[in-house]
Amino acid sequence: MRSIKRLAAALAVIVLAAGCGDQRVLERLAFTKAVSYDTAPEQDGQARDKLLVSIVIPKADPQGKMKREVLSAIAKSDKAARIKFSKQTELKIVSGQLRSALFGLSLAKKGIWTYLDTLERDPSIPQLVKIAVVDGNAHDMLARLYPEHPLPGQYVDRLLEKEAESMAIPEVTLYDFVRDYYDDGIDPIAAIVKMTKKSIEVTGIALFDEDRYVTRIEPEQSLIFACLRQNFDKGEFIMDLENNGQDDAQVMFSSIVSKRKVKIRRKSGNKLEAELIIKLKGTVLEYTGDSDLSKDEIRHELEKKMTAYVLSDAKAMVAMMQKNKVDSLGLGKQVRNSMSYKAWKQLDWDAVYPSMEVKVNGEVIIKDYGKSK
Amino acid sequence: MKEKLYPFHVGVLIYMIQSGVIIMSLPRLAAENFGYNGWVALILLALVSSLNILLISLVHRLGKGKSIFVLLEMSLPKFVWLPLYSLLICIWASTGCMVTKHYVFIFQMVTYNTTHAMYLKALIDVLVFLLVIKGIYNISKAVTVFFWVVQWMLLLLLFFVKDFEWARMTPFLFAGETHIMEGSLTMFSAFIGYELSLLLFPYAENNKKFMRAVILGNLFTAFGYIAVCFVCFGFYSFEQLKNMLYPLLDLLAFIQLPFIERIETLLFGFFLFTTLVTTVMYIWSAERTLVRIVPKAEGGMLVFLIVAAAFVVSWIPDTITEVQEWLKYLSYTETGVAFGLPVLLLLILLVNKGARQ
Repeated sequence: MRSIKRLAAALAVIVLAAGCGDQRVLERLAFTKAVSYDTAPEQDGQARDKLLVSIVIPKADPQGKMKREVLSAIAKSDKAARIKFSKQTELKIVSGQLRSALFGLSLAKKGIWTYLDTLERDPSIPQLVKIAVVDGNAHDMLARLYPEHPLPGQYVDRLLEKEAESMAIPEVTLYDFVRDYYDDGIDPIAAIVKMTKKSIEVTGIALFDEDRYVTRIEPEQSLIFACLRQNFDKGEFIMDLENNGQDDAQVMFSSIVSKRKVKIRRKSGNKLEAELIIKLKGTVLEYTGDSDLSKDEIRHELEKKMTAYVLSDAKAMVAMMQKNKVDSLGLGKQVRNSMSYKAWKQLDWDAVYPSMEVKVNGEVIIKDYGKSK
Repeated sequence: MKEKLYPFHVGVLIYMIQSGVIIMSLPRLAAENFGYNGWVALILLALVSSLNILLISLVHRLGKGKSIFVLLEMSLPKFVWLPLYSLLICIWASTGCMVTKHYVFIFQMVTYNTTHAMYLKALIDVLVFLLVIKGIYNISKAVTVFFWVVQWMLLLLLFFVKDFEWARMTPFLFAGETHIMEGSLTMFSAFIGYELSLLLFPYAENNKKFMRAVILGNLFTAFGYIAVCFVCFGFYSFEQLKNMLYPLLDLLAFIQLPFIERIETLLFGFFLFTTLVTTVMYIWSAERTLVRIVPKAEGGMLVFLIVAAAFVVSWIPDTITEVQEWLKYLSYTETGVAFGLPVLLLLILLVNKGARQ
């Protein structure tokens, strides 16, 4: 019995002592909430290949006026910048609570894989870090004081999260981006944000070719993009429809449940053809035209108009993506799955995609139209 | 009457010996070695290990549940079994401690990055020592508790349903760059552990249920592996999977609850239990073998010696790649033991039978 007690005591000492090894005292840590990457401004002809990295850390000082601190450094890599940050602050910088990584547009055009690889390699960085492109300079956006939003890191993060819920932008995390980057049948995408006078605004979707930004989808079109890309069950958008050949009528289509299907066919001469079929079902919450929606034929007429509206936009969008050689819809995945491995490897998908025939079909169904006729 | 291991406990024990940290990298190994849909290979490997268990059950039946040491010593001269035993002790003891060191190294990527690895390993070894000296009945009871502590984690796979995509699985089977032979051997090490059931003969109820439990334990291991790998193949893109060292660690890092996030550190802690059991059972096996060489020695002392010696040996490899290299060769040898030992025993049994007739 005595020996057991002694052993237990020895064990307790060892276990407790182990806790002193790698300490993390909350008050002495700086939790990076957001990080931004830009190409460094040119100075005296040098620093061309260098990077301007900035981080925002919230401050827990109750007496302090500032609720956050922004640290910036020009360095060759993300981690080199981190060492420079460390020299600027009394706190130990940790990245376990990192929420968003923002890339300036000029850097995104050059390619962002190197930086994503660093994020991916570090086990302390969460998989769910949101990736976004900043229309302009990402550092300026983070460093700016938004009087109504004292914590820019949290602000951007919650904005991206909330907008993604209604499919206004796709929710693109480190996981999503890296997954699509490696996939040979799809190209990655990310949200675009922009700094305005008083706030930060979501301004579209960035389409990448591998890791390079190529083109964008405007915010009004983002829901159509979402319909073409995936199934979803929460979305809303506004359509401008022709009303009796005269002025415009606006329809606000809400609570949309959308399903998409992709069919790959082989035409004569072994040419590939893809057909995207989308089906949208939702509620009309606003209608500024003068027709009576409770009448079946009128509603069906409206459904037809809405379908035509969606399809024409969708077709234009697909053509735009083909022209820019970005397969953001993942048609490559479907093509790959329609053939043998050997055939897929022999197929030069990047060359085939721009000239492939892609049909878009589908329908819009009005499930209900609110409380009035 | 002496207490016996129930079939349920045997099954759980086998399952817990088999599962270990290798599951962290298994999806990548499947992708690397078997190409697209490499997880299917696990079904084949599970069949191979089941066949191996059938071989063991034949030994069990023909030997009428006698201890394998009795069988060996009955027919082989001492100068043959002594080196054989010594070899087995070396293999088992080093496998046991390398598994722990591997766990510690991966653990250190997440937390305690700069603490000396051997310090953490020493802490685990204390637990191992305390468990092994309690004997197999108490080990098996503890293992059953550990089993329930760990097993709920399979339900976490439900988190990945939303982002799982069939299109990512592709219809290709074993296509792309493959290393079937080497890959099979490497991945088979995930199943290794069931061969220790050879040592359980004298402690289990002497009937068919015992071997059935071993097979079920093995199949449950296979089920866990296949479930995890299957999810990984649909959750990650193929090239990405090939590029991730520890896909399961990333998978755990993906889980986020509304009230808490970054729980992978906590979740990874649970894998300590499966690793602990693997080490405990290998050290226990080494001790059981050592007892045959020095029957008069005190049990606790032997365990201490083995754990201490293994601890010293495990000091040698200093980086995670070295540990993995060691483990690779150890598991190759252990696979050899898993097939070789039952075959040797069967030969002995058949020769004895022939001689009697």
